[in-house]
Amino acid sequence: MCWNFKALILNQSMNGGSCFNLEIPEERRDHGMGLILLFYLVFYGFLAALFSFTMWVMLQTLNDEVPKYRDQIPSPGLMVFPKPVTALEYTFSRSDPTSYAGYIEDLKKFLKPYTLEEQKNLTVCPDGALFEQKGPVYVACQFPISLLQACSGMNDPDFGYSQGNPCILVKMNRIIGLKPEGVPRIDCVLKNEDIPNVAVYPHNGMIDLKYFPYYGKKLHVGYLQPLVAVQVSFAPNNTGKEVTVECKIDGSANLKSQDDRDKFLGRVTFKITARA
Amino acid sequence: MSQQTPEIYSVELSGTKDIVKTDKGDGKKYRGLKNNCLERKKKNHKEEFQKELHLDDHKLSNRELEKKYGTDIITGLSSTRAAELLARDGPNSLTPPKQTPEIVKFLKQMVGGFSVLLWVGAFLCWIAFGIEYSSNKSASLNNVYLGSVLVLVVIFTGIFAYYQEAKSTNIMSSFKKMIPQQALVIRDSEKKSIPSEQLVVGDIVEVKGGDQIPADIRVLSSQGCRVDNSSLTGESEPQPRSSEFTHENPLETKNICFYSTTCLEGTITGMVINTGDRTIIGHIASLASGVGNEKTPIAIEIEHFVHIVAGVAVSIGILFFIIAVSMNYRVLDSIIFLIGIIVANVPEGLLATVTVTLSLTAKRMAKKNCLVKNLEAVETLGSTSIICSDKTGTLTQNRMTVAHLWFDNQIFVADTSENHSNQVFDQSSRTWASLSKIITLCNRAEFKPGQENVPIMKKAVIGDASETALLKFSEVILGDVMEIRKRNRKVAEIPFNSTNKFQLSIHETDDPHDKRFLMVMKGAPERILEKCSTIMINGEEHPLDESTAKAFHTAYMELGGLGERVLGFCHLYLPAHEFPETYKFDTDAMNFPTSNLCFVGLLSMIDPPRSTVPDAVTKCRSAGIKVIMVTGDHPITAKAIAKSVGIISANSETVEDIARRLSIAVEQVNKWDAKAAVVTGMELKDMSSEQVDEILANYQEIVFARTSPQQKLIIVEGCQRQDAVVAVTGDGVNDSPALKKADIGVAMGIAGSDAAKNAADMVLLDDNFASIVTGVEEGRLIFDNLKKTIAYTLTKNIAELCPFLIYIIVGLPLPIGTITILFIDLGTDIIPSIALAYEKAESDIMNRKPRRKKKDRLVNQPLAVYSYLHIGLMQALGAFLVYFTVYAQEGFLPRSLINLRVEWEKDYVNDLEDSYGQEWTRYQRAYLEWTGYTAFFVGILVQQIADLIIRKTRRNSVFQQGLFRNKVIWVGIASQIVIGLVLSYGLGSVTALSFTMLRAQYWFVAVPHAILIWVYDEVRKLFIRLYPGSWWDKNMYY
Repeated sequence: MCWNFKALILNQSMNGGSCFNLEIPEERRDHGMGLILLFYLVFYGFLAALFSFTMWVMLQTLNDEVPKYRDQIPSPGLMVFPKPVTALEYTFSRSDPTSYAGYIEDLKKFLKPYTLEEQKNLTVCPDGALFEQKGPVYVACQFPISLLQACSGMNDPDFGYSQGNPCILVKMNRIIGLKPEGVPRIDCVLKNEDIPNVAVYPHNGMIDLKYFPYYGKKLHVGYLQPLVAVQVSFAPNNTGKEVTVECKIDGSANLKSQDDRDKFLGRVTFKITARA
Repeated sequence: MSQQTPEIYSVELSGTKDIVKTDKGDGKKYRGLKNNCLERKKKNHKEEFQKELHLDDHKLSNRELEKKYGTDIITGLSSTRAAELLARDGPNSLTPPKQTPEIVKFLKQMVGGFSVLLWVGAFLCWIAFGIEYSSNKSASLNNVYLGSVLVLVVIFTGIFAYYQEAKSTNIMSSFKKMIPQQALVIRDSEKKSIPSEQLVVGDIVEVKGGDQIPADIRVLSSQGCRVDNSSLTGESEPQPRSSEFTHENPLETKNICFYSTTCLEGTITGMVINTGDRTIIGHIASLASGVGNEKTPIAIEIEHFVHIVAGVAVSIGILFFIIAVSMNYRVLDSIIFLIGIIVANVPEGLLATVTVTLSLTAKRMAKKNCLVKNLEAVETLGSTSIICSDKTGTLTQNRMTVAHLWFDNQIFVADTSENHSNQVFDQSSRTWASLSKIITLCNRAEFKPGQENVPIMKKAVIGDASETALLKFSEVILGDVMEIRKRNRKVAEIPFNSTNKFQLSIHETDDPHDKRFLMVMKGAPERILEKCSTIMINGEEHPLDESTAKAFHTAYMELGGLGERVLGFCHLYLPAHEFPETYKFDTDAMNFPTSNLCFVGLLSMIDPPRSTVPDAVTKCRSAGIKVIMVTGDHPITAKAIAKSVGIISANSETVEDIARRLSIAVEQVNKWDAKAAVVTGMELKDMSSEQVDEILANYQEIVFARTSPQQKLIIVEGCQRQDAVVAVTGDGVNDSPALKKADIGVAMGIAGSDAAKNAADMVLLDDNFASIVTGVEEGRLIFDNLKKTIAYTLTKNIAELCPFLIYIIVGLPLPIGTITILFIDLGTDIIPSIALAYEKAESDIMNRKPRRKKKDRLVNQPLAVYSYLHIGLMQALGAFLVYFTVYAQEGFLPRSLINLRVEWEKDYVNDLEDSYGQEWTRYQRAYLEWTGYTAFFVGILVQQIADLIIRKTRRNSVFQQGLFRNKVIWVGIASQIVIGLVLSYGLGSVTALSFTMLRAQYWFVAVPHAILIWVYDEVRKLFIRLYPGSWWDKNMYY
């Protein structure tokens, strides 16, 4: 049997006896609908296959380990924890544990990879210098959580919230291959009158260069990014007032913190309101 | 009843001369009739034209007239009285047709077409902002901007369309401007020249040859006056005017001249009896303005197309609004989606493009002497299926010309073309020598002086139409006629008058040895023959016997049957001994013989068809257009012209022809056996509209003769009932109602009256019917090209729409922004879509049938389906490929993008992780999103280039059409690329436009898809060509 493409697609009169003939002029409407469906099935099937193929080809141009271009994130942003729900505003009442339970949970969850247990297999790297690796195996450096001192959660499971001295963690976004210059540190200041105290841990908000460069999710398994904790101490008489804290990267020439448009590039501003 | 009763003469405004309908005396009865008319008017607008005209001034004596109008024939009106009348009746000018106020036109542009959708979009934007603002004071102003941009788009496209319209109207108004006319009027016993607008009834005016008649006037005295009524009645022959009352019908009587007709020669003194809108012309003009303007076919098509697109936009918008709401999106977000969908679906730039395309064609047509008054009328000629053409001045040259000669028992054909250059008949016969001498000498017409460099046929002549024809005819053949006349000095002359019906002159001969006088005579052939006893054959005089007389009659009948005006010529050499050189001829005493002359020949004249017309008619025929002649002239002349231009083809017969051939009575002939029909106004009057339809449907070749303006209207309506798109050509005032009623009225620019030009949609500047063929061709071409433009423009709508749908359903970061879409619709795509207007026709568009109204649509199903579901979809895929490539190469693999939308758009998530573990701030993501927009934009742009190339043709291969023949296409492509480059690299730093500098290689990602589009379309066209009529052809040919 010969299957005639022409007859199928063109509904041409093919009177070649044994040939598979699809032409039925009398019922051309029904038949036409059928043909149309068939046509679109074939056509869209073809398009889908073609699209998949071109996508596949495109994916072949990619590297599993490193994105092809990193030009759009030349400099890292800063982000704080606990993760705010809507805006960067923390409100809690030290006398009401439920008001900050969510924050604490969030912090705990975030700090989970930083527990000693989790860090067991990580390397202790030399301080104060970039830790460049050649591979093929890339190791991650330990970040001793004790560096966060009062905010490590080791001594105070409430991260200071119950005392009215809430801890906020600040982290720098991961960017593959980023090598900070100078001595980067995170500097936090209070925008209002400096009645409440602000403390940063590790000392001076230092970010050790040994955590850089980052080699990507696939190669750099277990990588821990350095953290800085900010603790605002509210005097007991100073409750109910909103405090604005601004943190930004300082001490490194290639980490920008003054972009007009990107309010989170190398800096972060958040507000804390502590009630009695 | 009795002549004495003050009769009111009622005649249909139509000016049907043949129908004399007198209402004898009874004023009441008349009023009843009028009321009846008024009642009917409400029921049927056609009845409106039955307004009757009562005019009895032609029957009144001068005294009665003076009394009636309170004037004095000698002293005229007093200035004060005239001022009073002017205040009462208003100026003597036609009220111009009502103009739509400019502001209304402008506002129409603002709300027409897609504008409504965009207004809705803009208001939704503002509402969305309002909702957002009420809950969050720091809401972003993006929606306000977008709303404002949409409004700006509407306003700008509106202004643009308005400007284009206004520009094309302006051409016309400059054209319309006329020098104010002056009229010579007697007031306060003084002759004064005043602007004719200030004339009032009762004014005594003087009009001389060459002037336009300033109002309807009753002739009081005249000297050799003839008027050209052709614009009113369609008669090419000048009509004599005198103070005698000659006919009951005011239109037939000789003592009334009508406003806006021209006095050709002589002088008249007359009394103004009607001014302004109350003149006959005024009535016809009001008839014209009573006819509503029909929507042009292209307007209907564009409306249809707007409905389709708007329907798609609104239904998809609402569907996805519902989907979005049920997917738990906020209502506010869903509204934003709705706006996005509307903006993506509406081809914002298309209507402006269509306007530009039409005006480009209008410009092109203006170059070919077709001036289009109404832009949309550009296409109308292309869809025309019936042309109703006036005869005089449109098909014919509107000047009498020698057409045939008969001498030596033979009929010779003279060249009647516009320049007479090619007179091929046998001029060697000595009879011709004699005949030419008579033609030259027995003629009082003269060229006006100072026209040495003007071609003969264009020279102005003093004299009547037939003498002019003879003068020019002899000048062309013999050379300097005035010189010949000088050599043959005229010694006596009897001019033509209607009692003699001949003209005679006596000349010395130019042969110095021949001292005889030559008497030459011309006149009505039968009268001339009576005076002859011999006939000249081959230069020899033969006695006039029965057989030669019979030959004469046969020739006379034959020429007369051609609708030509025949003149006979004879001469006599007066014997020298009886009439010596010193003989004093006395024309009053007739002291010379006027019988026993020698008959020389016949000569017939006609207002000949323009030489380009037969060819044009043939072309119209092959283009499937039926050409119908509608004229006020006599049926015989009309038929003769129809035959000579091919409106009645050589081998088709009318009922009368069949009857004559078979020698049976006309009634016995089966009327459907005939292919052609000549229908007179008389017959038409008694027909019901069904009968008219029957005639129009059954005869291929139709001539309507002796028709009135109202009947022309009926004919046009009849044609329109057949679902035909009707073009009417005409030049006269009597044509103007039909011009207005027609789907497209075509007026003559040179010969046309202002009323005709006002009523028309198009003006032929060279009065050449053949220009209509150009119009048809351009109209068809523009229709085809508009299809291409629309197909091109609609295609990318899918590529613009899909991102929104995917964004809502799959949750990808938005692939293309609303502003970016506007940049495609109003930026990169504009010039290419206009460039398609320059595309040449794919095949001989003049060999196919006119498109069927409301069946062969501008945007049909295959066009929409092919554009949306085939090419549009391919384009969307190609653009998505570029989008995914950009995201993947920056770190977001396609898989990771799915459902990323919510996190992606959260302003406080500033550490969104990509596929490689990197973290992005909101702004970094936004920038990537804009890069995505730019990539998607470039993807569409690259594929639109392919789309543009494939849209060059609908059936032929692009290579058959010639890839480089239309250079403008390449200008369009270049403009696309340049605009794209400028947006990406030039304005990439302007955040509000959301473009970024795209890596060069991303411009090439969609190229394989572009090539695929091209190949796919070539395959489609190939199958269409290979298997016409097949399933494929039906579904894939748009």
